[in-house]
Amino acid sequence: MTWLTWQQFRVQALTATAALAAFAVLLVATGPHLASLYAASGIRGCQPASCEHLASNFLQQLYTAGTYWVLYLLGVVIILLAPAVIGLFWGAPLIARELETGTSALAWNQSITRTRWLAVKLTLTGLAAIAVTEGLSLMQAWWAAPIGRAVGYGGGGTNLAMGRFSSVVFATHGITPLGYAAFAFALGVTAGALIRRTVPAMAVTLAIFAVLQVAMPLWIRPQLFPARHTVISVASLDSISLQQGGLNGSSFNLGTEDLPGQPGAWLLSSGAVNAAGHATSTTPAACTAQSMRNTPAFLDCLGSHGIREAVTYQPASRYWPFQWTETAIYLALALGLAGYCFRRLNRRLS
Amino acid sequence: MTAVIEAGGLGKRYRRLWALSDCTLSVPAGHVVGLVGPNGAGKTTLLGLATGMLAPTTGTIEVLGGRPAAGPGQLARVGYLAQDAPVYAGLSVAAHLRLGAHLNPDWDAELARGRIDRLDLDLRQKAGTLSGGQRAQLALTLAVAKRPELLILDEPVASLDPLARREFLQDLMEATAEQGLSVVLSSHLVGDLERVCDYLIVLVGSRVRLAGPVEELLARHHLLSGPRRDPGSLPDGMQVISASHTDVQSTLLVRTSGPILDPAWTVSEVTLEDLVLAYMSQAAGRGRRNHLEVQR
Repeated sequence: MTWLTWQQFRVQALTATAALAAFAVLLVATGPHLASLYAASGIRGCQPASCEHLASNFLQQLYTAGTYWVLYLLGVVIILLAPAVIGLFWGAPLIARELETGTSALAWNQSITRTRWLAVKLTLTGLAAIAVTEGLSLMQAWWAAPIGRAVGYGGGGTNLAMGRFSSVVFATHGITPLGYAAFAFALGVTAGALIRRTVPAMAVTLAIFAVLQVAMPLWIRPQLFPARHTVISVASLDSISLQQGGLNGSSFNLGTEDLPGQPGAWLLSSGAVNAAGHATSTTPAACTAQSMRNTPAFLDCLGSHGIREAVTYQPASRYWPFQWTETAIYLALALGLAGYCFRRLNRRLS
Repeated sequence: MTAVIEAGGLGKRYRRLWALSDCTLSVPAGHVVGLVGPNGAGKTTLLGLATGMLAPTTGTIEVLGGRPAAGPGQLARVGYLAQDAPVYAGLSVAAHLRLGAHLNPDWDAELARGRIDRLDLDLRQKAGTLSGGQRAQLALTLAVAKRPELLILDEPVASLDPLARREFLQDLMEATAEQGLSVVLSSHLVGDLERVCDYLIVLVGSRVRLAGPVEELLARHHLLSGPRRDPGSLPDGMQVISASHTDVQSTLLVRTSGPILDPAWTVSEVTLEDLVLAYMSQAAGRGRRNHLEVQR
């Protein structure tokens, strides 16, 4: 059965190997130079006071140079798309193509049960799917390590400065790509077994996977662990976004990008609260005079009127628990779908 | 000897449509069984149930005493050539033989190679580029070389031209004789089966209308012609399967266990084709009458 699986999977396997190799060549050709730029940036061994500045400069340099930003983006997009492509082109046809061409009648009438046939196919192709996607992710992680370190030092100011919890970085680094690949593959196989035609099965696979990949970072991931809440003084905020509106600046909106003392935390929401602890957007009358002109004075004024910033966040230390949990969810879904395929095949579909 | 196919009250429904209903059959071993019926009669469904490609909705079916496709052992005992002889278009002829060798413990490599050589198939040719006849031969080679006890073929010659048809059936008969196989093959044309079958099952409108050894069936049916008379006036034990009348003459196809004694009849032998057509039109007529009754 291994032999037959390989015969049928050869073209896809070679395509995937070629894609991996091309990606590796691209990264190996540019990675060392990226690392040397990092070495020259002086971030390594920086004084605490200057680290953030040096890191921002480094990221700015990469961003304006263009190439690295494009490569980074390319890598991320490839890793995000790989599971979908695998689900479409490896998963969906696995059973559907056999049913469509009638070869299922040939395969399932050799001296081997359907369960074994599917087990070998799912295992070998599924492991290949996982290996390819995780391989891409690890290569990208190696290449982009300097960028990650600079972001870790607090570097900011460009699109490259995405934290580990940002949707893009979280979904392309660590072990999550592995879970996505396993799930997308199993989803494709199941859709194929149910719909029995390859192209519609591909469409359904893509639709479901896309919806889940959007829902995950937006609604599901933040709920995986109970978020923490904290209230901090306005004065201690160092990265704020302030909007003012209404007549003479009678209303304001105060947000923050990071949390003092919690580097790398995942901020879910932030907003001003009044002395009683309720969310507020009304500028205290005494502060309207400063409001439009002088931001520091305005913030001081807000602080002196008991207004503070409430932040909901996930601490940075939860990065790996989040990674493991999310990957486990996707793997469990994949196993559930695979189990369903076994049951369906044994209930004699032909 | 165990029956090759033993079915009791077997039925298969697709959504609301019964493709096969109330099928009770016992096909003894050692025959070449022809399963004949018009398109859509349920032949493929019956064979699908026998190979375990389909699960029955009602009733039971046992093949060679076991549940179809129950395990590797059962699968090894039954060879199946599905309709249109599916093969992997992207794999070569040689790869198909290796597939058979890998997936069947009793694979007869010599037999397979011998057949491919005799059929003049190019081992390196992709199966997708073979002609219909060659493809059927390749699929038959796979089914035969796994050394089954029972070979099931679904419309094996439907897509072949007359010459390829004859060659295929001849070849099938040789393989059958050499290996002492039981064979069940279906066709919607009696002509295909006449030369090769010694057991016949007629399936019309999802029901089995007739089943038995060909010789016995031919011995029990007679074609009577004589002066016109009412079929109802025939003696008991004589069942009219089909009747046609001119102004003066009646021609009846009857089923009877005893001899025809009435001297008014000219008795002649029926051919297999007459027989099958009579049962098919009888079933069709019955269907039509039922339909009318419903409308009324």
